[in-house]
Amino acid sequence: MADDEDPKEYRWETGYEKTWEAIKEDDDGFLEASVAEIIQRAKRKRQQNKQVNSKLGMMRHLYVVLDCSDAMSAQDLKPTRLLCTLKILENFIEEFFDQNPISQMGIIIMHNKRAERICDLGGNFRKYIKTVNGLTKTALIGEPSLQNGLELALKSLKLLPSHASREILVIMGSLTTCDPSDINKTISMLKHEGVRCSVVGLAAEVHVCRQLANETGVDPPPAAVCLESSLIKMGFPHQMIVEGTEEPLTMCMCHVDSTEEGSKLTTGGYYCPQCYSKYCELPVECRSCGLTLVSAPHLARSYHHLFPAASYREIEFDNQSLNCFACQKIFSEADKQVYLCSNCQQYFCLDCDIFVHDILHTCPGCATNPTTFQMFQSQM
Amino acid sequence: MQKAQNKLAIMACHSKISKFVYPGPGKPLDIRQVDGQYEVFTLVEKTVKQNLMKILTTETSTVYTESLLAGTIAMALCYIARILRTKTPGLKINSRILTVTGSGDSASQYMNYMNVFFTAQKQNVVIDVCALDQHLSLLQQGCDITNGLYLRIPQIQGLLQYLLWVFLPEPPVRQKLVLPPPVKVDYRAACFCHRELIDVGYVCSVCLSIFCKFSPICTTCHTVFKIPGPLTVKSKKKKIKL
Repeated sequence: MADDEDPKEYRWETGYEKTWEAIKEDDDGFLEASVAEIIQRAKRKRQQNKQVNSKLGMMRHLYVVLDCSDAMSAQDLKPTRLLCTLKILENFIEEFFDQNPISQMGIIIMHNKRAERICDLGGNFRKYIKTVNGLTKTALIGEPSLQNGLELALKSLKLLPSHASREILVIMGSLTTCDPSDINKTISMLKHEGVRCSVVGLAAEVHVCRQLANETGVDPPPAAVCLESSLIKMGFPHQMIVEGTEEPLTMCMCHVDSTEEGSKLTTGGYYCPQCYSKYCELPVECRSCGLTLVSAPHLARSYHHLFPAASYREIEFDNQSLNCFACQKIFSEADKQVYLCSNCQQYFCLDCDIFVHDILHTCPGCATNPTTFQMFQSQM
Repeated sequence: MQKAQNKLAIMACHSKISKFVYPGPGKPLDIRQVDGQYEVFTLVEKTVKQNLMKILTTETSTVYTESLLAGTIAMALCYIARILRTKTPGLKINSRILTVTGSGDSASQYMNYMNVFFTAQKQNVVIDVCALDQHLSLLQQGCDITNGLYLRIPQIQGLLQYLLWVFLPEPPVRQKLVLPPPVKVDYRAACFCHRELIDVGYVCSVCLSIFCKFSPICTTCHTVFKIPGPLTVKSKKKKIKL
């Protein structure tokens, strides 16, 4: 972020120097084998670079501040800037909640010199996707006000406890901002509160955006460095199951004082294990006793960061095994390398190696072996 | 075998090994039509019988109570991933995994189960569970996560009926059927220290490890915690039993 003004080329570009020299024709004059090998090597390399890193700081609180001004109707991104942004934002939300399961997100839009909060901080990603889909029909009018957007986000981020990380992501299509007072004061306040702001500019670079990002961007990313760590008491609600009886009709605490839709008497729900208040969705903070209520899968989604599967050793294929242990693919001449798990001593093919370490995070060989099924790399 | 294009793979597992029973390792058996039966049926039947026999006869030592189901599902997911990789582009495949088990699911495989369920969810693989004996709370969570069906069958005599009526229809068809009502899912977590299911626990804010008691240092990420002040409980009411 900060070294952009450096006249040298970007750091990430150096990896692609003289790539054409690495490609060699094979005996028949084809390039495919060589290219496939390079891809293979890159995939492996990426995996090995992944280190066992248990400091995560995953309770992120993020406000997405979206520009909905006139400038977003430009058609340089297809079909329009807004529609393109919303489509990508949808993927972002899904990924965000996939990787940060108990984090919270809120959405603010800026149009007509005002900022409007569309969604409060919350953890229900379906709701956000629905809201983002609904935004396609927003009227794109006037100028955005960066200051108003930031202030509104700050107002609700301020109230969070010290162990939570706070972030704002601004998506700007406009080159101008129309602010009521000095934006530098807002920026220094954000800095003081430890809110990390990032800006995605859809048009040319705007100085104030860069300044905002530079001033507030704490590098390294909002991990445990600056935050207090603490053990947080949490409840894992479960539904009441009384054999043979229907659950009583009750009102959930989330809708008890609203008159909108959803405030109905229902039978199911999640009950706080401490005070037995009922909620219709998780994660939520109990309104009566303050306990954070989550469901176990919310937390479990991130455990693979803590306990990654053991990495495999690359071995020249020499008929060590008939087929890949996991996917049953029969090894042939085309498989130059096979992959050996050092824990369970099973052989895998390249595709399974990548699938296991990128997505599954459990070694099928280890998990089916009574002596190794609880082994992970971090314990070695 | 509702459609000729459908593909089936059967795996067997107990506490020591997990193996593909059909399609088995090596060449497919040589099958001739018997009594006018569809050849594929004969092939499946013969292969399954033969391979199951092998597994059951080789295992002689004590078999523990719990099968390593998570690993078996992991293998199945790798298998499905391979099918998806090698399919003709444009072809849509609805893949699902049916687990029929009589063993329990203890928290010792918790991590493996969770990894498997989230992978299935990502890959759009439905996991169905047919429990023959005990109630399986972890696998039930898996069904809920992947939109599968969980059924603990009340009578073992009716197993075939349940399999045919409940688990055979494809997920898109299921919405139109009257199936056993969804069971309430128990979403309690297992603590890292004793692997027991808990109602209220302490969670490390850095790495999200779960502990059943307060400890000053996280055993997973070695973070030192500050000692909490008095908890801000507004009013202590007596627990109301519902």
